[in-house]
Amino acid sequence: MGEILLRAENIDKHFGITHALDNVSFTFNKGEIHALIGENGSGKSTLTSCLTGIYQKDSGKFILEGKEITATNQVEANHQGVAIIVQEIGTLSGLTVAENIFLGNEDQFTKHGIKNTAAMNKKAQEYLDSYGFNYIDATKVIDDYNFEDRKLVEIVKSTYFNPKVLVVDETTTALGQKGREELFKVMHKVRDTGNCVIFISHDLEEVIEQSDNISVLRDGVKIGSITKEEATPDRLKALMVGREIGDNYYRTDYGEKVSDEVVLSAKNVTVKGQIENLNLDLHKGEILGIGGLSECGMHEVGKALFGASYFRQGSVTLGDGTPINSIPDAIKHSIAYASKDRDNESLVINDTIGDNICLPSLEDLKTHGFLRAKTMNEFANKFAKQMSTKMTGVDQFVSALSGGNKQKVVLARWVGKDSDLIILDSPTRGIDVKVKADIYAMMNDMRKRGKSIIMISEEIMELLGMADRILIMKDGKINGEFLRSPDLKDTDLIDNMI
Amino acid sequence: MKKLKQSQYYGIGILILMLVVFWAVFKVLAPTTFGSPAKLATYMKSALIYAVGGCGLYFICVMGPFDMSVGANIVLSSIVACNASEKFGYAGLIIAPLICGTIIGLINGIVYIKLHISSLIVTCALSLIYEAFSVYATNGKNVILSTDYRAFGDYPVNLILALIAYMLCAFILKYTKIGTYTYAIGSNEVVAKNMGVNVPKYKIVAFTLAGFFFGLQAILTISFGTSMTSASNLSSMSRNFTPLMGTFFGLAFKKYGHPVIAIVIGEMIIQLMFNGFVALGAPTTIQNVVTGVALLVIVALTTKPVKGLVVK
Repeated sequence: MGEILLRAENIDKHFGITHALDNVSFTFNKGEIHALIGENGSGKSTLTSCLTGIYQKDSGKFILEGKEITATNQVEANHQGVAIIVQEIGTLSGLTVAENIFLGNEDQFTKHGIKNTAAMNKKAQEYLDSYGFNYIDATKVIDDYNFEDRKLVEIVKSTYFNPKVLVVDETTTALGQKGREELFKVMHKVRDTGNCVIFISHDLEEVIEQSDNISVLRDGVKIGSITKEEATPDRLKALMVGREIGDNYYRTDYGEKVSDEVVLSAKNVTVKGQIENLNLDLHKGEILGIGGLSECGMHEVGKALFGASYFRQGSVTLGDGTPINSIPDAIKHSIAYASKDRDNESLVINDTIGDNICLPSLEDLKTHGFLRAKTMNEFANKFAKQMSTKMTGVDQFVSALSGGNKQKVVLARWVGKDSDLIILDSPTRGIDVKVKADIYAMMNDMRKRGKSIIMISEEIMELLGMADRILIMKDGKINGEFLRSPDLKDTDLIDNMI
Repeated sequence: MKKLKQSQYYGIGILILMLVVFWAVFKVLAPTTFGSPAKLATYMKSALIYAVGGCGLYFICVMGPFDMSVGANIVLSSIVACNASEKFGYAGLIIAPLICGTIIGLINGIVYIKLHISSLIVTCALSLIYEAFSVYATNGKNVILSTDYRAFGDYPVNLILALIAYMLCAFILKYTKIGTYTYAIGSNEVVAKNMGVNVPKYKIVAFTLAGFFFGLQAILTISFGTSMTSASNLSSMSRNFTPLMGTFFGLAFKKYGHPVIAIVIGEMIIQLMFNGFVALGAPTTIQNVVTGVALLVIVALTTKPVKGLVVK
């Protein structure tokens, strides 16, 4: 057992009536990567948010190297030696890369109120170069860079001052392979200099591979800690959920015949710079998986098919030839779409669960031309409960839900609409095993009822486990097609991705 | 081509081109009554005044809120300047409106932050109060600036003061924390707060700074116009429009990195249009319609938002 660096003592936090952290105590050692795992809503992010000043704890103490630390914002936390890389985007548009890196810490470049921009840019570039990100120009506006590069800037911003504790909160889901490798390099560097990384991830393989110790939270309570050597994915799952969950949450059937009836057809679909001449047919009752590396264009395919992609060329038609050229077209013809970017593209974050679920079904919910609160409530309740959404009620705001429960709201909306054709982009991104199992069960049930699903996913096991047919994309084109088979291996897919 | 479009000089180039095109069009339509060098100098005299206010308003608008009390601030500060000049000469003419404008900005900011209500409503309500003060200060009569203190109404002194204002604005935006935080808050208030930015404080600072610039505009306004009438029933609102147009130009061209230049050239374009219509003898109503449409067209064409971008 190493020397203790950070101690969390009896941390307690409520959000309204939800008890997010119940008297939680932890120790984090010097020179370790300590993973925090748990289901969505188990309290992992709440704990680290309290540590880094994003939320204020109700009671308890954080003690770093024997001294109590309290922060009211991230910069204060930084000054006390604690940094965080958040799940969603943490850089600000309109500011330069350098301004983003030093936001809140400009004083070191400011004399008599005047900021030495040249010195700031120079320093920022030095840091970027030292991380090997020399292609990022510190003087440029951050908007000139893509999501992944902006995340890399955030990594520099959070670690250039050598924090004693670095929290990596579910960051890997936002990164491609290259970004992940860069992030792991930085995490190892923090550990190797005798500091500590608190690593939050739902990818259990990744957790076991990267961490030295793993702690589990469930419903705001600490369940236990195990070492890397003791950990197996099944053991971790059991600890997270409180019962044994095997890998059998995927479909177990093989060789079932899929209908020949085509329900959606894409011909020569091109979105400049993202998709090139894509052709595909989706059949009735089929789960069609689309996979590839994150920048291969597959995420744009979901949008293009739903009529949500601007600058789309080529045609998307239903089985009977009806063209789908816009989102209203798609919804009118019973097509649903759940985006990868849940918060910005799927949900009205600052609205209730009820309103979010009812949104596309408002026309159907009208009685004599008017909407009744009671009807809407009943409708929303029915489908939120069907998806076993963890909530205080349908009048709760979506913004207060965890990632997995947000996804359940998105799915409840389309289940409620009774869509026949569902496009799911990264349906289980950032979601724990239990909710994953629920979502897979729902997909399987839909398939059996003759609904057709397009599942775009970066997770190979999910594609192998759930899809009747898998299309692998590379550089905007389809680079391989595989039929469902127990003999299909992950390496078969990977070979076509790279 | 893409590189050229991203260049900071591209935006300025477009603005200058627009300026030349508008001048040329009106010059062709009204060759004798429009656009001689002497007339251009007169148009620019107005433009440089409004651009000072536009600079002030930029600090607020770039963060998201709005200030509807620009006109009331200028009316009251001009009256205060006029009255103070009688007692303290040029010192009164300069210092009094700066203090008055800054205090009004500070009050706007504090009330907006403390009451947690829309800046639009706050500044409209406060405008009524500032207008009432202007009526008390003048007993409802015109105030006239003495001929001894009208140097800021003409070249080169007006130009010097305006240039100082523009440089100050550009400097604050680029070389102080205030500038960085203004953009940070405008981009994402929650993230900015998490990064330790004291959002309420910097919003108040923005309103106060804007007030200071409206004070500067008041010096130029009273010196150029030489008289000021008190306002009531929100009649001062008509004075909001022209500085705001400049601010829109600044916001539209922000991505090229030189909002202040965009504000100044934008105001010049607006003045060319106003005066162009006057030269053509068009009725005021038509002038307003055309100016409104032109503003929408210019901003829409120059911003070229990404398709699907949510605009609020």
